[in-house]
Amino acid sequence: MFDFLWYVWQGITQSMVLNPRVAEVVEQSPDSGWVVLTIAILGGAGLLLGQSVILLVNRVQPRRFALSLLMNGIVFASSLALWALTIWVIGRWIFPTQPNLILVMELIGLSAAPYVFGLFVLIPYLGEFAYRVLSTWSAVIATGATAYSFKVGWWPAFLLVGASWLVIWGVSNTLGRPILALRSRALRAVSGTTLDASVADILVQFATPGSDNNRTQRGQHD
Amino acid sequence: MISFLGTVLLGAIILLCIMAALAPFESLGWWAGWYGEEKSPRVPGQAATMDKAVAESPHDHFLVYLSGIGAITPEGIPQEEIDWGHLAVKRIPQTTFVPDVYPYSATNTGLSTDRLFSRLWNYLEQRRLKNPYDLLQFLINIRNLFQVAISADRRYGPIYNLGVSDEIVKALQLRGYRIGSGKPVTLIGFSGGAQIALGASTFLKPTLNAPIRIISIGGVMSDDVGVKAMDKLYHIWGDLDPLHGLGEKLYAGRWPIFPNSDWNQALATGKIEFVNMGQMHHNGSTNYFSWIAFTPQGQSHAVATIGMINTLLVKERLINPEAARAAQAVTDAEAIAYSDARVAEGAAAKQARQQARATS
Repeated sequence: MFDFLWYVWQGITQSMVLNPRVAEVVEQSPDSGWVVLTIAILGGAGLLLGQSVILLVNRVQPRRFALSLLMNGIVFASSLALWALTIWVIGRWIFPTQPNLILVMELIGLSAAPYVFGLFVLIPYLGEFAYRVLSTWSAVIATGATAYSFKVGWWPAFLLVGASWLVIWGVSNTLGRPILALRSRALRAVSGTTLDASVADILVQFATPGSDNNRTQRGQHD
Repeated sequence: MISFLGTVLLGAIILLCIMAALAPFESLGWWAGWYGEEKSPRVPGQAATMDKAVAESPHDHFLVYLSGIGAITPEGIPQEEIDWGHLAVKRIPQTTFVPDVYPYSATNTGLSTDRLFSRLWNYLEQRRLKNPYDLLQFLINIRNLFQVAISADRRYGPIYNLGVSDEIVKALQLRGYRIGSGKPVTLIGFSGGAQIALGASTFLKPTLNAPIRIISIGGVMSDDVGVKAMDKLYHIWGDLDPLHGLGEKLYAGRWPIFPNSDWNQALATGKIEFVNMGQMHHNGSTNYFSWIAFTPQGQSHAVATIGMINTLLVKERLINPEAARAAQAVTDAEAIAYSDARVAEGAAAKQARQQARATS
């Protein structure tokens, strides 16, 4: 167990220092796939933790709060796998190198490492800046991973990452809509609320005399 | 050695970041009902109902004091603010004072009870009582500074400020304020307390349906939406106070390049006024509450600050000018005697230090 955690920690730290041999470090573990999956799930959970104000505004209770983080981790890991697959398909088409799909998935999965520290997005005043730093860091890791996998320079890798992101975005907003709707429904089911209240609603309700909008009142959660 | 110091420094920064990141959970958890139903927020448009009947105050003006970031409970504030408050109560007439709100908690829960780290905060308070300049008390300041940043952060501010506003309403009622009476309320906020006052005014205004004014003493304020709700903001500042200007540097809505921001609009229409107090500091022996530093007119800073508040309240027609003059005249001798005593204490302490140095 400690060995596994050690490899998880190594995967996170080595990814974040952009060690090009991070894949080799992780591959030393007999459970390298699980190591990467754990990092991706932790990254997804951290990402939601940093934005957990939305859960708390909607009065998600502690048990469901923890479940929502886990659920987001799994969803995030799945979306990273899909992203890796897109990179692999496009990359094989435009670059001569034909890397193993599992290797690309593992390396792209490690780009979730900065989001493990998503807690820092909660820091008052500096949180939004922290989010941008973590997102940029993650994108840089993904670019480095792509460059390593396809044996190309940073700029071609950057273009490939950008192109794959555009493809994902396009598919999400067309064919992928039912999947996104399913994802939102699952998150709502896990959190136990409709998750449609925002901080702005609190301002409207409590700062406006005579308001009877009760979207954020107690009693909507179980 | 350098590596050890570097590790300690890095550890301290990480610890600080974790503290800052966890800070919003207090108010967010309150909103979500994580700490029990009885502490959850009220429903819109309703003030909390009081358990006991309180006689209505004969005064037509209420003044709520929100302390600086050195406070650990409503009563556990730095001695200088306590002494200043005692004299302010006597020198500001026709006003009911409400010093019962701890502005650095959405539930008015001081740091010394009902908390995981209450023993730590109590220990720091004991150290501060023994030595007002104890360095460790800055842990209290840092903890409260995070709450000020939460109040100013648009992600959390509305929740935090709603909680404080509810506590202010409760405290007002316990001091004899009647909801619906329309009696004006003035919030005095020192340092971070000014930001909390501004944030809370967003919710106080519709609840009380009364004029809400704010007097900021060296306040560090953001471009909070409360600017739209309150009726008037006076910002008292000293030439030697480097902290009061932090808000205008840190928050873009206060930058002059955004003339249409709520803050700049309020400034342009005269809703916000800056009042200079001369050579006063934010902290230390020459701050706004000092009894041993004096204005060129010979008033202690503490008395001069109270005098300025009186002037502003008279200007706003909240107190009668004759009553204000009379209250000041009655307490002048006491103020001078108190100031003389503090000066004598300071001189004695200095002499003792010099003697100790000479003998060693």
